[in-house]
Amino acid sequence: MKLIKRFLKIRWLSSLAFLAVMFIITGLVNPGFFTYSNIIECFNSSVVFTLLAVGVAFVIMTGEIDVSIGSTMGLAAAIAGMLAQRGQSWGLMIVYSIVIGLLIGLVNGYGVAVLGVPSLIFTLGTTGIIRGLVYVFSGGKTTENFAGTFTNFGSQTLFGQITIYYTIVLVIVIVTHLLLTQTRSGKYFIAVGDNVGGATLIGIPVTATKIVAYVLCGIFAAISGVAFASKYGQVNIVAGAGYEMSAIAACVLGGISLSGGQGNLAGAAIGAVIMSTISRLLVFIGLSSDFDNTIKGVMLISIVVIDALMQRRSAETARRERLVARASGSAR
Amino acid sequence: MANNVSEVANTTTSTASGESIKLLSVRGITKSFGTNAVLKQIDLDLDGGEVLALIGGNGAGKSTLMKIIMGIYQPDDGKIYVNGCLTHLNKASVALSAGIYMVPQEPMLFPNMTIEENITMGFQEHKQQLRMRLKSVMQEIGWKFDLNRKASTLSIAEQTLVEIIRGLLRNAKILILDEPTSALTFDEVESFFRIVKELRQKGIGIIYITHRLSEVFDIATHVSIMRDGIITLHGPVSDFNHEMLVQGLLPPGSVQKNKLFEQTTSIDYENTQPVFELQNVSGHGFNNISLKVFPGEILGVAGVVGAGRTELVSTIFGRDKILHGRVLLNGKDITGYSTKKVLQAGINYVPEDRHNHGLFKISSITANTTSALLEDRRLGKLFLKPKVEQAITQEFVDGFRIKIAGQDQLAGSLSGGNQQKVVIGRSLSTKPKIVILDEPTRGIDAAARRDVYGIIRGLREQGVAILIISSDMEEIIELADRAVTVSQGSINAEFWKKDITQDNLTASSFGLHVKGEAHAQ
Repeated sequence: MKLIKRFLKIRWLSSLAFLAVMFIITGLVNPGFFTYSNIIECFNSSVVFTLLAVGVAFVIMTGEIDVSIGSTMGLAAAIAGMLAQRGQSWGLMIVYSIVIGLLIGLVNGYGVAVLGVPSLIFTLGTTGIIRGLVYVFSGGKTTENFAGTFTNFGSQTLFGQITIYYTIVLVIVIVTHLLLTQTRSGKYFIAVGDNVGGATLIGIPVTATKIVAYVLCGIFAAISGVAFASKYGQVNIVAGAGYEMSAIAACVLGGISLSGGQGNLAGAAIGAVIMSTISRLLVFIGLSSDFDNTIKGVMLISIVVIDALMQRRSAETARRERLVARASGSAR
Repeated sequence: MANNVSEVANTTTSTASGESIKLLSVRGITKSFGTNAVLKQIDLDLDGGEVLALIGGNGAGKSTLMKIIMGIYQPDDGKIYVNGCLTHLNKASVALSAGIYMVPQEPMLFPNMTIEENITMGFQEHKQQLRMRLKSVMQEIGWKFDLNRKASTLSIAEQTLVEIIRGLLRNAKILILDEPTSALTFDEVESFFRIVKELRQKGIGIIYITHRLSEVFDIATHVSIMRDGIITLHGPVSDFNHEMLVQGLLPPGSVQKNKLFEQTTSIDYENTQPVFELQNVSGHGFNNISLKVFPGEILGVAGVVGAGRTELVSTIFGRDKILHGRVLLNGKDITGYSTKKVLQAGINYVPEDRHNHGLFKISSITANTTSALLEDRRLGKLFLKPKVEQAITQEFVDGFRIKIAGQDQLAGSLSGGNQQKVVIGRSLSTKPKIVILDEPTRGIDAAARRDVYGIIRGLREQGVAILIISSDMEEIIELADRAVTVSQGSINAEFWKKDITQDNLTASSFGLHVKGEAHAQ
C-alpha cells in the first residue's frame, strides 16, 4: 500500500503505468494488437497532441488555462497549407507559425495577466477571433492539394520505425522539460501557479511569467499546426476544433494540476500519447471510435474531480490546523 | 516635499544620536485608496539590532505600510531611506535586493515544492554555492530541517521558520514579521522569541507587527502605535507601560467612563432562564467558550479580527463541526444541528461580510427579505403568493426606514446601510429567539448606523436575545448590556454595563486582563 502511495505521488509515472495498462487490456482483448509497429504507431501519431499538450502545460502550471490552442493550430495549419501550395519551404512555415503563435500568445497573456480577465473567458474570446481568421484566410474552403515533399517528410522514419516528426518532438519535449525543471526561471512557472502571493513577495515577475507561458503555448500550438498540415495533407476550416479538450485532458492525465503549481512536461507528453491512442485502441477492441470524445471527456472530468477533492481536503486540513494552533496559543 | 526635512528633525529628538544613519527611515509616507486615506504622513525609524513592535487595531494601516516598504504598493507621497540612501521601492525585487524581507502573516510558501526549493527559489546564484550558504545559515542559527520535505507537510510554526531562513539567505538586514506568533502554540512562541533575540544580536533590524500587547514587553526594544493611518506613539519600550499603550490605541478624547447610562437593563439575572447558552464549546479556532444570553439582553462580544469570534458563531450556525461542549437554546440541546435546523430552532445570524455571505445582490428587495421564509406556509404551498411576500417586506421597509425606489429594486444597488437593513430584516422575518449580528455596522454611514442601532434596541424591547460581535469598541459600549472579550480563541474577560469602557475592552481584546473583570451570576 505504501509503495503504491509513493508510486502514485510521482504523478507522471502513474500515467505511464496507465498507458501500459491500456496497452495490455487491448492486447488481451485482441492479441493482434501486440506488434512492434502497432505500439510505435501509437507514439508516432501523437505528434500533434504532444506539441499542443506541452504548450498548454506551461499555461496550466501557472494556474491559468488556454482554450484557444485548437483554433491557433487550425490557423497555423491553414497558413502552412497555403504556403505549401505555393511551394514554399518548410523553414518559412515554421517562421510564420512562430510569429502567429507569438502574437496570439501576447494577446492572451496581456488579457489574462495584465487586464486580469478570467483566462477561460478571454481565451474563449480569442478562439472565436482566430477561428474567424481561418475562414477569412482560406476563403471558407478546405485548404488542400499541397501533397509532395512537405507531406512526405513527416512519414519518413528515422530508426526503428520512429518517424522524424516524433524524434523532433521527443527532443523538444526533453529539452523543454530540462529547461523547466533545471533552470531558475523555469521554476518560475510552477512557483506562480503554486502561490502567486508568495511568488510576488520573493520578487518573481508574475505578470511576465504568465505572458511568457501564453507565448510559449501559442508557439507550440502553431507549430503543431504545421505538423497537422504535413500529416493530413489537407486542412479543413474547423481543423483543431476540440483538440484543446484533448490537450488539456492530456496534461491533467499526465499529473499537471489544473489549479497550477504541480506537474511536469514529461507527464503532459505521456498524457498526449494516451489521448491520441484512445480511438486507435477502441478500434482494436472492436468498439466504434465514435466513443472517442465521450471517453476523453469522462476521463478529464473524473481526474479533475478526484484532484479537486484531494486539494480541498488538504486545504481544509491546513485551515483547521491553523485555527487550532491559534486557539491553543491561549493556553498561556 | 519641503516639509520632509523638518520632520526628520522632529522624529529623532527622542534619541541622542539623532544624526547617525538609520538602517531604515520612512519619511512622510502617504497613501490613499480612492477617497480613503489609509496612511497620513507616516514617519518611522529602524536601526540594526532593534525590534520595533508595531501595534494597532484592524484597519490602522500597518499592512499597507509594510507592503509599501516591501515595494508591493507605491506610496502617493513620501520617501524611504535604506542605510541613508533614498531608495525607490517600486517592486518587491528592489526591496529584496535592498535587504528588506517580509515574513507575511500567513506564510506564503509554495506548498508543492520542497523546503530547499522554497528557500532557494528566485536566487541567481549557482546551486552548489547556494546549498553551501544555506547549510551555513542553518548551522549558524542551529535549526535542523529535512530539506527534501514538501512545504505542505510543515506546521505553521515550521513554515514561519522556513520563511525566516529564506530572508536570512537573502542577507536581509531588515526583517518584517507580520503577526508571526498568531498561529503558534505557547512552546513555539518561546523558541521563536529566542530566535528573534539571536537575530537582533546579529544586528538585524526587525519590525514586529503584533496584536498582543504583552509581547511588546517580552521582545521589543522600541514600540510604535498606529491608529487611523498615523503613528500616535513612538519610543523605546522602557518608556511605556501597558496603560500608556492602551491609551495610544484609543481615539483622541475618548471618554474614560461610559456616558450612556440612561438605559440600564431591567433583566432579573437571578430568576431568568437564558435563551441561549454555550457550555464549554470548542471548535476549530476557539476553545472552551461558555456564555449565556438572556431574553431582552444585548451581549457584546469584543476582540480583534482573528480572535476566533467569527469561527465561533459560524460553527454554532452549523457551518463547521463542534468538537466539544453543548449549545442550548431555551434549555434544549441543539449541539451539532445543521444550518437549516439551527434556523428552524430559532437562531438567526447576520454575517460579517454581507457581500459574500449575506445579500442576494441581483435579486429584488422582496426576494431578499422573504428568502429565509421560503419554507413558511404563509407564502403559499407550491406557488409563492406575491401579495404576502410584498406585505411582509413592506413591514420591514417601513419599520427600518429602508430607502428604496420600489420593492423590485435590486438589493445590490442599495447603499451599504440599506443593504444591511435588508439583511437584518431577512433574519428577523423568521421571528428568531436570538439574533447573532457579526459586525453589524461595518462600512455603513453614521445615519444608517443610528437606524441599525435603533432596530437592535427595538428588538431588545420585544424580548429577543441579541449577540453582537464587533471590533468597534464604541459600538459595544453603546449597545451592550453585558460584554465579553475574546482573545486567542477564548473568552478572557466579562464586563457588566458599568464596566464596559474603551479602556477595559481594548486592554482585554489585546490579551491583557484588567481589574474590572466580572462574572455572570
